[in-house]
Amino acid sequence: MKEGNNPLGNIYVSYRAISTVAYQSALQSYGVVGLAAKNLAEGLAQVLVKDPALGVDVRYDDRAIQIDLFIIVEYGTRIKSVAASVSDNVRYQVEKVFGLPVSQVNVHIRGLRISNPD
Amino acid sequence: MSIDQQISAMEDGRNLAHADKLDGQGLKQLVEAGMTWLRTNQQIVNALNVFPVPDGDTGTNMLLTMQAAYAEIARSGERNAGKMAHAVAQGALMGARGNSGVILSQLWRGLARGLDNLETINGPALAQALGEARNTAYKGVVRPVEGTILTVAKDVAAAAETAVAEKTELVDILEILVEAADRSVNHTPELLPILKQAGVVDSGGKGLFFIFEGMLRYLKGQSLETPLASVQPLSSMKMDEIEDIEPGQDYEVVIDFRPASPLDLEHFYNDLTEMGTSIQLGEGEGMYRLHIHVPTEKRYSPIDYTMQLGTITKVSIENLMAQMEDIEKAKVSKLSLAPVEPGQVAVVAVSPGPGISRIFGSLGASAIVEGGQTMNPSTEEILRAIENLPTDKIIILPNNKNIILAAQQTARVTVKKVVVIPCTSVPQGLSAMLRHDQDGNIDQIAEEMEEAIREVETGEITVATRSVELNGVNVQEGQAIALHNGKLVASAQTVDEACLTLLEKADTEDRERITLFYGANISRQDVNRIVDGIRSRYPSHEIELHEGGQPHYQFIISIE
Repeated sequence: MKEGNNPLGNIYVSYRAISTVAYQSALQSYGVVGLAAKNLAEGLAQVLVKDPALGVDVRYDDRAIQIDLFIIVEYGTRIKSVAASVSDNVRYQVEKVFGLPVSQVNVHIRGLRISNPD
Repeated sequence: MSIDQQISAMEDGRNLAHADKLDGQGLKQLVEAGMTWLRTNQQIVNALNVFPVPDGDTGTNMLLTMQAAYAEIARSGERNAGKMAHAVAQGALMGARGNSGVILSQLWRGLARGLDNLETINGPALAQALGEARNTAYKGVVRPVEGTILTVAKDVAAAAETAVAEKTELVDILEILVEAADRSVNHTPELLPILKQAGVVDSGGKGLFFIFEGMLRYLKGQSLETPLASVQPLSSMKMDEIEDIEPGQDYEVVIDFRPASPLDLEHFYNDLTEMGTSIQLGEGEGMYRLHIHVPTEKRYSPIDYTMQLGTITKVSIENLMAQMEDIEKAKVSKLSLAPVEPGQVAVVAVSPGPGISRIFGSLGASAIVEGGQTMNPSTEEILRAIENLPTDKIIILPNNKNIILAAQQTARVTVKKVVVIPCTSVPQGLSAMLRHDQDGNIDQIAEEMEEAIREVETGEITVATRSVELNGVNVQEGQAIALHNGKLVASAQTVDEACLTLLEKADTEDRERITLFYGANISRQDVNRIVDGIRSRYPSHEIELHEGGQPHYQFIISIE
């Protein structure tokens, strides 16, 4: 994917590496109780293969990274604030770990989990 | 609140204190108290935040959440405690801001569920509800991080269990809860390494502590509007800003000490106010730093006083008047750079002198690389400046032909997007600076800058270090020489002459503005005389003079 120039050679960062970091960061964000498949095909694949970065889509346009997150939020929280938190958290962690600029983090709310019916 | 209102509110609090149960109105008063005390101390909480993102300004976020919660019940006359709690939770949910705000809203939600429809809350009901609050909060995240507000909520819920077994009066129960919260907050650095590294406690946890403490203070009839001795984390103590010195404050005394037993902050603070003013207390790992301004006759009082409280590890006494003079001098030559945020475009400028650095800074440069005596910074120095900026869009102004290459090198080595503007002189660089827009598109800005530098005429005046003949100009060692856009165009006996000849060669007649930067190797007297000469020669031109402070060149001149 993206190569960073190093006097000794090139550095290639895979989409998978980035999506894994994004996935972990998302799960650590408050309000996120899971990540979801973005379509049926992916959902099916998930059952068959243990995907370490499900629900995260990473793209790169030669300048910066764009991330799409498909999350499940805990019912009873302010979804807007949770989404903003996740977005900030993921961007911060990815930029910190890889040193690559993140231009967009899109958060898609795929569902709510109801733990405590009010 | 007016004094009367405050007093009456304090009385209400004291009346509530000895009750053994709480109704809807009582709960409302406690919510207000918690919110008010958090508001009073919000800056302390903000100062504890370690990450630049994601939860900036925890104090403000939690306060906004509490304010939304209170707004929901502000006009409510509801007597049923459970119903009141549900309304609070609803308000908190709607107004939850930031990570900590959302968790706080979850705590209220759990508390409300725990209370259900209870008319009044007694000790055991409170303990059960706090447990429910903790459960709900923890449910909201898959990987809960300990050493945060969640941990404090957990510890308070645990303390509540034991508290209600021993005590029945609200004030006694809350006393135990506040103490548990305090202990839990102070323990957070042990659970979260990044807190320990930064030397702070968890901001969300501290915010929650203040909410509980506010409720306790209300029950004890203590003030909620004035912060307690403004104890701040050590790292955030601002000690280099001295505003007006009040009369009678002659010395600044700073004492680092370790108290033998926990400080009674209120007494400590009160005793200190008898000695002096401008009291600041910073808390570090097991130690405090006290800062106070005292009159000459009391200059040892803080030391004698603190000595009785524990072990003093360091003392510094400084004469304020003398300090003031130094600061005035320093203020004059302080370099202020434009702060930049991720996503914005930042400018890194290479500068030959401090005065010029200041000008670049005031025009919006975010980083300056000192060119030094040889005006030849290394690629590494430029790279460091680039990497230290929080954004990934950088424009470099090398301001010297030799540096353009080094700058282009850095563009190849960094992952950030770097555009090098090929400006070969300070006047070009400054003109480019004027086209800068932090929020603009980097390629567009670069284009405008490159256009701008083509329109600037640069003049440089210096003294020849050897004799040479160049471009048809005969130069003797020691003569003043003038360079126009980097090319030698004239030599003269004096710097005055060289300047005037340069201006002539640059067709200054047809231009409007002359800007001069005088260097470190010319006296102010000479500068003034030369500028006067230029003014009389070009009376209708706008002439600006700046202290550039650059080595070698007596003058750098920009003609536009």
